[in-house]
Amino acid sequence: MTRYVIRRLLLAIPTLLGVFTIIFILAYLMPGDPVRAVMGESYRRADPATIERVRERLGLNDPWFVQYGRFLGRLVRGDLGTSYVLDQPVAEVISYRFPRTLQLMAGAMVAALLIGLPAGILAAERQYTWVDHTLMFFALVGVAMPVFWQGILAKMFLTQDTYGIALFPVAGYGDGALIYMVLPSLVLGTHLSATIARITRSSMLEVKPQPYMVTAVAKGLHRWRVVLVHQLKNALIPVVTVVGLDVGYLLGGSVVTETIFNWPGLGRAVVTAINRRDTPVILGTLVFGALIFVTVNLVVDLVYALINPRIRYE
Amino acid sequence: MSDPKERIPVQNILVQQARTSQGDELSGPANAARFWRTFRRHRLGLVGLVIVGTMVLAAVGAPYLAPADPLAQDILRARLQPPSAAHPLGTDELGRDLLSRLIYGARISLTIGLLAEGTALLIGSVIGALAGFLGGRVDDLLMRITEIFMAIPSLLFLIAVVAILEPNVVTIALALGVIGWPSEARVMRSQVLAVKNLEYVTAAHALGLRPYQVLLRHILPNALSPMIVVGTLGIAGAILTEATLSFLGLGIQQPIPSWGTMVYTGQNYIFTAWWYAVFPGLAIMLTVLGFNFVGDALRDALDPNRVTQRT
Repeated sequence: MTRYVIRRLLLAIPTLLGVFTIIFILAYLMPGDPVRAVMGESYRRADPATIERVRERLGLNDPWFVQYGRFLGRLVRGDLGTSYVLDQPVAEVISYRFPRTLQLMAGAMVAALLIGLPAGILAAERQYTWVDHTLMFFALVGVAMPVFWQGILAKMFLTQDTYGIALFPVAGYGDGALIYMVLPSLVLGTHLSATIARITRSSMLEVKPQPYMVTAVAKGLHRWRVVLVHQLKNALIPVVTVVGLDVGYLLGGSVVTETIFNWPGLGRAVVTAINRRDTPVILGTLVFGALIFVTVNLVVDLVYALINPRIRYE
Repeated sequence: MSDPKERIPVQNILVQQARTSQGDELSGPANAARFWRTFRRHRLGLVGLVIVGTMVLAAVGAPYLAPADPLAQDILRARLQPPSAAHPLGTDELGRDLLSRLIYGARISLTIGLLAEGTALLIGSVIGALAGFLGGRVDDLLMRITEIFMAIPSLLFLIAVVAILEPNVVTIALALGVIGWPSEARVMRSQVLAVKNLEYVTAAHALGLRPYQVLLRHILPNALSPMIVVGTLGIAGAILTEATLSFLGLGIQQPIPSWGTMVYTGQNYIFTAWWYAVFPGLAIMLTVLGFNFVGDALRDALDPNRVTQRT
């Protein structure tokens, strides 16, 4: 197992290097003069010679490969630059904002598992009945429904009395009050819960004809004990993979959900940054997002190897 | 020691053999009839076909179908009107007819979906085919590159791109294609790997065909069906991502009637004019569902060895 872990870790390095290279290219192409950003107000009054000196000092006159090396060096040290607008290191912005996003993602994941797993199990148990058909219809709709539209519908019908009932607050963080988290979590988690329901169903059905299932039934165990212990445990492997793969989707979805519900997370920070042309924040978030994605995939692979020993010996 | 990636389950090879021995399954009247028979049995596939057909019709015939000019404003008399006989889906904050804007919006979504997926298919096919066909170091390198592109969150990438380039139909579609090809490449690679060591390919080599001839004439046709399926699903994904970007106000800009942009503006009126954000969102969802259904049905209908499931 240790060898497998080390190999996987080493394989992540070239991937990250490639990702950083693409982001460097984007950064290189970004409009806006970094000198102006660094000098702030004094830029307008400064004479060309001064601007040139600052430019030289920032290393903007160096050839691209020197800049590229410096860019990678800064990333390795965790330096993502300084926000043009907030006058604050991007790393600080992220470390302040990301826990909120993580909170939302965790809420979404809990909601998705609470809805998706029972739905999938029930659909498999009642295969080809109206229960199965209804659940799978909702799962299909849930997969195709755009997050933003769903967020708007939820807001429309569940936060005000005009068209629906005012069950939840319209938007905001509410100092961390749980009630503020419910709607955004449900909205962000719908896609995942629909996916989980579908995968759980098909995975449960695949496990069903296995010999050990027959044994469990023959032993005279209670039906639900067979389903929940023997069948579900073995059906969970693909579910774990899907949850892992969907983290990328959750990251993208959190940008939308946070914008709709005014949630003070990283996603909303990015959208604000675009409107203010705050390049370092955009790029820093991109780096951070990719880093998370690679890490999550790594963790999923490792968990997978832990559940299924055959993978380790590939 | 054989490369683990090239080890293919025996039954897969048998399936591929059975398939390729039947020749190109898309040609010939008998195969076309069989294809349609299987497709027809897929009820959701038919629903999808109707949705996609409607959308194509709307996009192509927009000038004839739209009851009004999608850009014509009437702020004084028709601002935020609820659905009525004159405006079946109501009007927006500038008095523009929503139904007309939705019909014209189909053009935007369809263009972006096709252009983005076309780009992704082109890049993905070339990279996947080369990786699978050449194998070895080239394969390793190309698959590493594929992983890199998979690791970049596509929405954040698009956000960075629109910070550099002006967001319009072409730039957004191309950016979507540039970030969206990895799954296409993977499918193509697996298809090439599945047949490249079969006897008929060896025979083609032995007959003295050049490698590129073997690849183009004897290996790639085999990948056609799965690529059609991936492409159909990819169109849905591209349409959805563009709508999301536009919903954030970062995609297609007003007054161009993009569905996502309409929801973006409509969200300001969700407590006063429900129709404004609801109908464009519904259009997006139905379109995505439609393409997904068609993709699923094609998957069943194009695979002669798959037992059709009732849905």
